[in-house]
Order: sequence, then structure tokens, then C-alpha cells
Amino acid sequence: MAELQVLLQHRNVPGIDGIDVYESHGGYAGLRAALGKERQAVIDEVKASGLRGRGGAGFPTWIKWNGLPKSGSAQHYLLCNADEGEPGTFKDRELLLKLPHMVVEGMAIAAYATRSANGFVYVRGEFVESATQLRKAIDQAYRRGYLGRNILGRSDFCFDLHIHTGAGSYECGEETALMSSLMGERGQPRLKPPHGPLPVVSGVWGSPTLINNVETYACVPHILTHGGAWYAAMGTQRSPGTKIFSVSGHVARPGNYEIELGTPLTELIELAGGVVGGALKAVIPGGSSVPILPAEKCAGVTLDYEGCQAAGTMLGSGGFMVFNDKTDIVALMRRTAQFYAHESCGKCTPCREGTRWISRVLDRITAGAGRMEDIDLLLSICDQIDGRSYCPLGDAASWPIRAGIRNFRHEFEHWVRHGSSPIPGFVPPVRSHGPGPVPGRQE
Amino acid sequence: MVAASAGRFSEAGQAQLAEIVSHYPDPGGAILPALWLAQREYGGWLPADAIAEVAARLGRPASEIQGVATFYTMYNTQQRGRRHIEVCTCLTCGCLGAYEVIDRLEQILGIHLGQTTADGEFTLTEAECLNYCEAATVVQVGERYFGGVNAENAADLVARLRGSEGCTPESLSNAIVEAIVPGRNAGATHG
Repeated sequence: MAELQVLLQHRNVPGIDGIDVYESHGGYAGLRAALGKERQAVIDEVKASGLRGRGGAGFPTWIKWNGLPKSGSAQHYLLCNADEGEPGTFKDRELLLKLPHMVVEGMAIAAYATRSANGFVYVRGEFVESATQLRKAIDQAYRRGYLGRNILGRSDFCFDLHIHTGAGSYECGEETALMSSLMGERGQPRLKPPHGPLPVVSGVWGSPTLINNVETYACVPHILTHGGAWYAAMGTQRSPGTKIFSVSGHVARPGNYEIELGTPLTELIELAGGVVGGALKAVIPGGSSVPILPAEKCAGVTLDYEGCQAAGTMLGSGGFMVFNDKTDIVALMRRTAQFYAHESCGKCTPCREGTRWISRVLDRITAGAGRMEDIDLLLSICDQIDGRSYCPLGDAASWPIRAGIRNFRHEFEHWVRHGSSPIPGFVPPVRSHGPGPVPGRQE
Repeated sequence: MVAASAGRFSEAGQAQLAEIVSHYPDPGGAILPALWLAQREYGGWLPADAIAEVAARLGRPASEIQGVATFYTMYNTQQRGRRHIEVCTCLTCGCLGAYEVIDRLEQILGIHLGQTTADGEFTLTEAECLNYCEAATVVQVGERYFGGVNAENAADLVARLRGSEGCTPESLSNAIVEAIVPGRNAGATHG
């Protein structure tokens, strides 16, 4: 099987980041098609496509769109989550860098369908180059009448699009924390149902707010150009369409690969040139937050939402990391734990405390001073975070550790028994700092 | 608190701030971009005067601005070296040589992770995932990403940085402000 490129088809065409070349390759045809329809018909087209949110959760896109108020004069906001920070994922970064107009066009279509007059793209602070490319694209789109007042001559359609950049915080990729950050606050999450309102009811500045991922918006022009049925014919029945996977780690050709959902996991590894430096040991298929899959469980797994779930992991953001048999899984889990301890926003106790304890216990084990009961202690801390934290960051911190122990418990036991790695010659890095306050982060 | 009029924002910076404020229904939205602007205007970091000036210009308490600034890692509430070298050591980079890159950079620069060279030229820290894993090991310096860094070419990177334009906290902040503020030619049609 080969790639099936819909979004990435023209990514290497010279000048595709500019509006002329983008238009000559079918760009903005989706927006024109949308404006030829009633607003509800646009939402129905997205419904027919079966598109599910590409940020990680896989929630049906049309339901969000359909949830915004359809009458009255209330201000709506349209947000694009470009705060890509999930370790192992680099698709949104490349989409904004090479195909910024596709994202602008998708947002303009969504704005029309949902009667939103104002939009923001929340770009991760580190992605300066992507933000610069998006700036150029937005300015060009204004000049050509795809943004601003009376878009394409339609007096009933105005849409202003701004860029808001983050400043270094993984938590801001969580949609309610992103909204806090957009409103000028510390990037901490807000209550969600059943305790608080859905963003489409009350989001930024108390207004109905639609928030989608970069890749989700980038799918929309194609769906409007070719039809929802065309899109739904790709992929599987419950996971339609294509998905970009960011493949990295021990493979010959790391990079972004767009494949039909439902493609066997092992085929993606082959597309990326196969495993290098040793035999396959494990795969993390959907970013650092999802459970790790040992090699023996990879056969037969299909890359779609249901296939990954059946295998005991998740599709997540499509951050597909491949590890060969020279990889020390305990050290990998320790580095994962360090990430979540650093990025926990500090709002709720289970996550703030739990992530740091996981990190410290793993430090102890990889320092050769672990105790056998530490392994169950780790599981117990995971249980105390999962489902008990304010937002999904805590859950995401506990899932990989739990899966690491479930699938590679013998490696944890080896570390405890021998005080050294099961991988001959592997020495874990000695950090100059532990969890908690670290150099480079002001507390 | 200092009055905004006593601040250091240039005329261009003040105009950019006015433009930024107009993007939001509430001036609070402008806090993050205003901090980027201040970080540029104050030479790449946010001393107490910079926090006070942002507070005065947006009509917010300085404590609120300080609280926001200290949450985000890219706002420098302490001064750093002119080149802040951030080495990604997260999952992919960490498995593909990032720690050897750090060892080598510590050697070349004569400092440990988290320190700044005596001449104030370089600060070296570890970064969480920079989301450019296909090019592991990845290093960020100011507004630039460098991919494919390894122990062998780390010295070349340092040499290149010594002679390069940009790649400072100030140029990073400026690049972000330039991305936030609409282009001059587009201004006429921006509403």
C-alpha cells in the first residue's frame, strides 16, 4: 500500500505556500463551493464526510459545528488549535509551514457555516517559522477577498482572522486552557461538562466558540470541493478519510505520511523505510500520551480509531514513534514522566503532585536504587491521577507509564534487581536537574 | 507602578500594541502578545520595568502580568545569554543522540546544562519536545530550528551561531510580533 495524499498532495510544489500557486492547484475552490450552499448544507456535507477531529480525541467535527447557535446576533469565535506540542507529532507544524492557505480556507468555510465573524489561530510560540508563513497567507487572503468584509462579494459573510501565539506551555493545547491563554491568563484548564459549559455554548469571553485542530480544518476544503461522500469513501466506515502520521525514531525515512485510516500499522513502518539499528521493539502510535505497543502486539493492528483501541492503545494525534531493540523502555518512561512533570500546569493536586512523584520514582529506579515495590507504587500513583485530574493532561501522564509496566514489567524488574539496564551498555543520562523547578523555566 | 509614558516602548512598538489590542474584544487578550512586544523592546527579557509598562499600557495590575509572564517558559523573567541553545531531549531526540549533543555542547562551551557562559554569549538548556522529530536531534536557538544536530557537528553549530544574525531572544520576540501584526499592504482591508 502506498500513501494516499489528499492534504499533502502538493506539499512539495514550489510556491504552494503562496496564494497564486495554491489557487492554481485547486485552492479556494472549497470556499467557493461552500458559498454556493446554505450554511446548514455545509455542515451536512461535513457530516456526510464523517470527519473526526484530528487533534487527538477523534470527536465528530460536524457535531461541534452544529452545536453553535444558528440565529440571533451573538458573537461567535472560531479558534484553530495550532499549539502542537504532543511529543512525537509534527504534522500541524508542516501544514502551516507549507500549506498555510489550506488552513485559512478551511477556517473561512467553517466561519461561513457557523456564522462566526472572528477567528484566531493559536500558534505554538516555538513555531515562529510556521507563524510567519501563516501571516503571509492571511495577508494574501485578505487582499484577494477570502477574508475580511463581504467575502467574495457576499454582504452576509465577514470574517476576520488573527494570529495569537503561545509562549511555551504544553497544557495550552488542551482546548479550555487554550481559551484561558487566548484571554490573557495563565494556561490553565476551565470546567467542562458536566460541571461547566461546552465551548460551543460558552467559550472565549463567554461567547459560543468553535475550536478545531489544524489538520481538521485542512481537511475541510477538500470535503467541500469533492463532497462528503467522496471523503467518506476513504478509510474505514467508522474512521473515514486520510490521516497524517508523523513517523519518527528508529526508521530509515522519518517524516509525515498521509495514509488512509485503516492501514495496517506495519505498513506505515515499511513506508517510512523500515526499522533501523536493530529489530522492532515497540511503537507509540499516537503521541507520547498513548499506551506503548510492544512489537509482538503490532501485527494485525490497523491505524484507525477503533483498530488502535482494540489493540489497547489510541490513534491520538498520529505521533508515531518507532523504537528498536536497543531502546531501554524504563529510561523512555522516565523521560516521558519528566515531560509531564514539567508541563503539568499546577492547577490540580493529583496531576501536579502525581506527575512529579512518578518522575522521582523513575529517577530512583534508573539511578540503580529502585525497590521492587516501586513498580506497584508507580501503578498506584497512576491510579490516583487517572480520572481524578482537572483535565486530560493527568490521564495522559498516567497511561504511558501504566502501559510501559504492563508490557515491559520484566525490564523494570531487571533495573531493580541489577541496578542497571537490561540493554547491554546502556547508561541512562544523568540530568543536571530533577523534576520540579528546572533551569530554563521560571517558577 | 510606572506610568506608560515613562516606559521604553518605541513609537513603532506603541503602534503595534494599539493594533494588537484592536484584535480582541477585551484588552486582556492582548496580554500575551504585549509581553512578546515588551520582550523585544526590552532587549530580549522582561525586567520588572517591562512588566510594569505592560501593566500600565493595558490598565491591569502588575501582579497579574507577572503571574502570566512566569507561567510560560518563553518569557524570560531573568536575563539569559545572547544565544539560548535549547536541545530537545524528549522521546525521539532522546533516543537519537540528544544527550551526546548536550555532553558535547557542555564541553565546547565550558558550562553545564542550565548555565550561561561567563561572557553572556550562550545559555544551554534542555527542551521538551520541539515537534520536529523527523530531524532529531533538534535544537532551537531564538527563532531558528536546527535539525540533524549530533555530537560531531555540534561545534559547527556553535561556530555558526557566533557569526549569525538573529537567533537571540530579542529577534525571536520580534519575529513573533511581526507574525501577529498584519502586513502593511493588508492593513487597508483588515477590519
